Amino acid sequence: MAAGSGQKIVAASSNGNVPVTRNGMLDQDLPAEGSEHAGRFLAGFRQWWPYYAMMAPGLLFFFIWHYVPIWEAKMAFENVRIIPPNIWVGWKNFEVLFSSPIFYQVLANTLIISGMKILFVFPVPIIVALLLNEVRSGKLRGAVQSAIYLPHFLSWVVIAGVFIALLSPTDGAVNQIQTAMGFEPVNYMTNTGTIRWVLVVSEIWRSAGWDSLLYLAAIFAIDPQLYEAAEMDGANRWQKIWHVTIPGIVPTIATLFILNMGMFLSADLNQVINMQNAVNASTIDIIDTYVYRMGLSTGEYALATAAGLFKAVIGMALVLISHFVSKRLTGKGVW
Amino acid sequence: MASQSRRTPLERVEYVLIVSTLLLLVVFTLQPLLNLLALSLSDASKVAGFSGLSIFPDGFSPDVWLLLLQHPNVQRGIFNSVWMTATSVVIGVLGTALMAWGMSRPGLPGRRLIFILVLVTIVFEPGIIPDYFLMKRMGLLNTPWSVIMYKAISAWYLIILIRFFEEIPKELLEAAELDGANPFQTFFMVVLPLAKPALATIALFYLVLHWNEFFRAMIYLNDQSKWPLQVVLRQFVIEGDKIAIVGANNVNNNLGLAQINIRALKAGMILITILPILAIYPLILKFFTKGTMSGALKG
Repeated sequence: MAAGSGQKIVAASSNGNVPVTRNGMLDQDLPAEGSEHAGRFLAGFRQWWPYYAMMAPGLLFFFIWHYVPIWEAKMAFENVRIIPPNIWVGWKNFEVLFSSPIFYQVLANTLIISGMKILFVFPVPIIVALLLNEVRSGKLRGAVQSAIYLPHFLSWVVIAGVFIALLSPTDGAVNQIQTAMGFEPVNYMTNTGTIRWVLVVSEIWRSAGWDSLLYLAAIFAIDPQLYEAAEMDGANRWQKIWHVTIPGIVPTIATLFILNMGMFLSADLNQVINMQNAVNASTIDIIDTYVYRMGLSTGEYALATAAGLFKAVIGMALVLISHFVSKRLTGKGVW
Repeated sequence: MASQSRRTPLERVEYVLIVSTLLLLVVFTLQPLLNLLALSLSDASKVAGFSGLSIFPDGFSPDVWLLLLQHPNVQRGIFNSVWMTATSVVIGVLGTALMAWGMSRPGLPGRRLIFILVLVTIVFEPGIIPDYFLMKRMGLLNTPWSVIMYKAISAWYLIILIRFFEEIPKELLEAAELDGANPFQTFFMVVLPLAKPALATIALFYLVLHWNEFFRAMIYLNDQSKWPLQVVLRQFVIEGDKIAIVGANNVNNNLGLAQINIRALKAGMILITILPILAIYPLILKFFTKGTMSGALKG
């Protein structure tokens, strides 16, 4: 059967437009295809070229800025020499990477910081949204929202500057409260036991307000009749939150949780690089800061690229898994 | 909520607790910023012992702000940040809109493939070293273009605009076609004016993104004269390079800026950097909130 139809295609194309009628359905489609395809292509081109022309700058940008670096990443498999060409060394850089204790320290730091953020940062905007939803006065709610969204729009350089001042052992607000209450002042920025908590708290400061907006949107989309029904049944505030509001936002919580898991290996370079100092460096050194230091400060380009590629591949797997799990469970994915 | 009169005392206490918690969050958010503002505006003689808890200036002096705004490094930083951000926004909005328009046309051949290729860039980022070498190879290192073009077109904002363009009623486009408009005319004279709110949202997204960018500027730009404000701020406040702002001569001879308390200078520097964000904050609230809400709901 397969051989027969193969022959027919050959026959058809060599015969040009003359259909060899033996199997009606197939022969009707095949013979004219060559020229018609070209014709359709030409018509398509005539119709669509202006759109491609408009897309050209964007396509070129994506090609150069996003696809050429993928090609450049082959450096991870090379011995990078000052005088080209580089020499292909296969997995050697990865072997060096995976046998270095620093890499495991960095990986562990990344996982610990991401884990702490999932545990302690992730729930905060949910609580904020639930509280905001209880506020009866629209004006009051609007004012609170306007205030707590602000830090989301500040850079990590600024936020780090703010936290360095806030946590200063001599004049910072936190230590002033602490000493007033009779505790010893703590230098949170240089204490290896506290610096990861500084990352957690500053992340809450930056994102808890803004991220609550997503949950608030989900809460506002809940059918008001559900609340009315609950009130008829004599439900109090907490019962309404527990039985109506929270079930209503569980899909959003699930989606955002899964998406957060997809970012597990990131732990935020911009945050860490501005909170890092000589004393705390080893405690909050993450994969990205390691890549930066090895590559751009030490000049170990190949090793740094290998570490970056390791993160990129695992990160891609995590994002894809989380996307499809999220799509499956909640109907919403990363995009 | 007409049940105001039927509230029990317990419910009132609960409500007070809820509102207080939120107000505490507002204090936690704003107090650190207000403290820095008060510090930067305090009288020079009062700054040394200025409390981290206070939000009111002790005495008043605009010296910190005036001296910083006259400082050549700060002025250059502001100048660089402004023109680089403005250029990025123009390139970003135009490039994103043009590409999104093509990708939003249902019949476009290769539409699915292009979409997948864009999504790949979200999922797979080979990292900073390959990016760095690309800039080097293109001769863009130590030029502002390496920073301006970074994330010039964001895949996320592209998707948002595609969604928006997909919802433009077909009748409007057909009417334009009947009037003899070619696709370019349709885009510039029908689509763009219709998309003004969406374009404003995207423009603000890009503005905040590029104004706050520091990492690429830090690694790509060697010349301090090319640094945007964020990198100038970082050098001074995060790396603690006092001399960069105060000046070696001043430090040695206790002149000019050296006489001003370093804490107040840092506070002023932080606030100057966030001033543009504060200036457009009402717009941000209006457009970001709407953009995020609708984006989140559609998914």
